[in-house]
Amino acid sequence: MKSIFKNRKISSIVSIVPKEEYRFDDEYPIFKLTPDKAKRFKKMMSLDRHRIAAPDVCSSDLCQYGLQHLLNEGTLKKEEIGALIFVSQTPDYIIPPTSNVIQGKLSLGREMICLDINQGCSGFLLGLIQAFLLLEIAALPKVVLLNGDTCSKQIDKCNRISYPLTGDAGSVTVIERCETENPIYADVKNDGSRHKAIMIPAGGYRTPSTPETLKLREVEEGVIQSQQHFHMDGAAIFSFTMEDVPPQIDEILAFSGDTRESIEHFLFHQPNPFILKQMADKMRIPPEKLPNNVVSLYGNCSSVTIPLNIALNYREPLLQGSRRVCLSGFGVGLSWISMVMNLGPLDVCKIVEYEST
Amino acid sequence: MSKTNKSMDKTEFYQRLAEILDIEDIKPENVLKEYDQWDSLAILSVLAMADSKYGVTIRADEIRQVVTAADLAALVEAKRK
Repeated sequence: MKSIFKNRKISSIVSIVPKEEYRFDDEYPIFKLTPDKAKRFKKMMSLDRHRIAAPDVCSSDLCQYGLQHLLNEGTLKKEEIGALIFVSQTPDYIIPPTSNVIQGKLSLGREMICLDINQGCSGFLLGLIQAFLLLEIAALPKVVLLNGDTCSKQIDKCNRISYPLTGDAGSVTVIERCETENPIYADVKNDGSRHKAIMIPAGGYRTPSTPETLKLREVEEGVIQSQQHFHMDGAAIFSFTMEDVPPQIDEILAFSGDTRESIEHFLFHQPNPFILKQMADKMRIPPEKLPNNVVSLYGNCSSVTIPLNIALNYREPLLQGSRRVCLSGFGVGLSWISMVMNLGPLDVCKIVEYEST
Repeated sequence: MSKTNKSMDKTEFYQRLAEILDIEDIKPENVLKEYDQWDSLAILSVLAMADSKYGVTIRADEIRQVVTAADLAALVEAKRK
């Protein structure tokens, strides 16, 4: 599904990471990996370190901290916020929406929309689309998109594959109207027939939580999980990223009239460095145009990988000017969304560390 | 990366498979599951190798049916045609 959004721009991006940093070299003994196996895994996935939130810290805390930071700096005012979107797979509660909780904690105005969206990998782009649409009807000029996930809480700490690759983080993105046309090209695809490829099978209403669904099982050596933990069919996801995502990139470039040369940066979701490198090679995108360092430094933090990627790798250039970029998020759903836009100049582009207050 | 009509060099394929499993060599009749290293990461590496070296995408359900090294070689070869 192709769309063009006009007179919209991203004006600020703040990514928030927990202070607590853990290194694979220190952690691997808990995965019962032999030094040899650990070395192979580390090399294959370029593992180095990741950030894990403290047990009492939720994704909303990270997002709220980042939003408060923007308000304190004065680049965003409460009176400007017409909608608050919270995209997450780790909400505070089943009821009420976490966006309402955050709105209340920050004493934002009442004349606004609060919206929670359940999405992971493609969640930054799905959130942007909502933000672009909500600007049409919002009474106030800016929409705040919050992306936050503490996926480490959905994985057993002894799971030797998923745990070292995951990371917790949040981001705050401010979207507003602009006078220039600034066309933003988007392509959205979904295939719910493959929804089981990434899921938490139990704990919702289809399969409610019981002592049985909480029981830990070793599904392969060192891969320990319950029915209420994150499950991923790695082989199915691999073929999805190799077969379905590259053609979408070709489609979006054709739609926006771009080429691999005219795009300056390919800012993709970061599932893990192995799969991303494989994708980049397949799409013939030079590595210097497709940063692939988020997981090695922070872990795969779900829908936050794209804004974190931007703040980590392009802070200076985006504060100073504009870049032609192609964004792509793919995974859970299965859902895959790509966009081409001119990004920047941004008012704020940074990473802040969360400190509990 | 590109598909060719030339038949697949099996020796080279087994060598690549052995590298993934971190062993000296592998014989066609060897059962993959019997290797300690044959885990979901090795499977991922095989899928990547099939894609980048032979230009074929192996599906999750297909790789699960593979028993021996020869089965895997046959699967990749069949998909190239």
